[in-house]
Amino acid sequence: MIIVHVEPENQTLIFRSLNTVLMLQKRLGLRVTDALVIRGSELLTPDIQIQDGDEIHIRKVTSTG
Amino acid sequence: MKCRKCKVPAEISLPSHNTAFCRACFSTYFTGQVERAIDKHKLILPGESVLVALSGGKDSLTLMLELSRLGHDVTGLHVDLGIPVSSAAARAKVEGFCAQHGMKLHVVELIKEGLPIPDVKKYINRPVCSACGKIKRHWFNRVALEGGFHCLATGHNLDDEVARLFANTLRWDAGYLSDQGPCLQAESGFARKIKPLYRLTEFETACYAFINGISIHSAPCPYSGGASFTGHKALWSNLEYNSPGSKISFYDGFLKRGRPAFALVEKEEGHELSPCTSCASPTSTEVCGVCRLKIAVTERRAADPDRATDRVRDKA
Ligand code: SF4
Ligand SMILES: [Zn+2]
Ligand SMILES: [Zn+2]
Repeated sequence: MIIVHVEPENQTLIFRSLNTVLMLQKRLGLRVTDALVIRGSELLTPDIQIQDGDEIHIRKVTSTG
Repeated sequence: MKCRKCKVPAEISLPSHNTAFCRACFSTYFTGQVERAIDKHKLILPGESVLVALSGGKDSLTLMLELSRLGHDVTGLHVDLGIPVSSAAARAKVEGFCAQHGMKLHVVELIKEGLPIPDVKKYINRPVCSACGKIKRHWFNRVALEGGFHCLATGHNLDDEVARLFANTLRWDAGYLSDQGPCLQAESGFARKIKPLYRLTEFETACYAFINGISIHSAPCPYSGGASFTGHKALWSNLEYNSPGSKISFYDGFLKRGRPAFALVEKEEGHELSPCTSCASPTSTEVCGVCRLKIAVTERRAADPDRATDRVRDKA
């Protein structure tokens, strides 16, 4: 199971399995540079494998107002 | 992915540059882009003092940190808009950031100036964001001039600039097209305005803020109808995706070939400015737009039967 937090909406999503960061971004309708993908204290590039048990933060970058 | 420069695992992929970097090499790249902007457009000359407009968002705090690391003499300026909850939160981020890095900070409180944004929204019949933007720019310029700063820096990034340029182009707004750019020279009562992050995208400033542990204010303003230029930004995101490098080449091309032509046209039609009789800010009318807003808000507030409850609320 993989837990994904989406900011700034403060949504939490749960995935049974995901392959790569790119796949996660596609599922969320995001391009590579639309959001930071954060695991712990590191940023993930699109090719990185997401492991079972990972907790991921998606931080969208478009500034609001 | 591996870092293009040092071959360790990369953390940041930059499709526009067809490359990826580790943290350290990304920082070098980022600094290089800022230095290039400063050198190329002579944004800051050696020894000059810079006033940096700080909203509390990622771009402005990133700009402040990077200019200070480059050794520039920086002072932050925050305009506290007086909007319940959100203004206090933004201000706390800015104050915390400046305290953490030992940076100078100047705060303008619109409540003290008699022009809090909630009152502008309540009493002025025009889109609150256009008045709010005007008031912020007024104070940026005023503090820069009164404080004797050489220039005023804002955190506009490449995405902001391209979206704005695109909007101005769709309207063929010659006035804006004649002077949009990373450097607006000082003239008749205006401080020099600079945008040292103009070569960096929103994604890149977000990466910089993250790897430097900058805690940002990201809750949207309650009056915001959504991010400005959202539609244009989405369109440009598609263009950039299909043809990496489109944004910077559109913008750089405008600076080289578009802006000079518009500047010629505007020179012929420019209007005279003189100091506002109330606050001395440059204006083409006797009393400047912001002082006129203040007069209108003050009058309508005084005539408002609800004002008594407002006062109680303000004191609380
Ligand atoms: S969204 Fe809020 S802070 Fe931004 S311009 Fe509008 S009123 Fe001002
Ligand atoms: Zn590297
Ligand atoms: Zn005035």
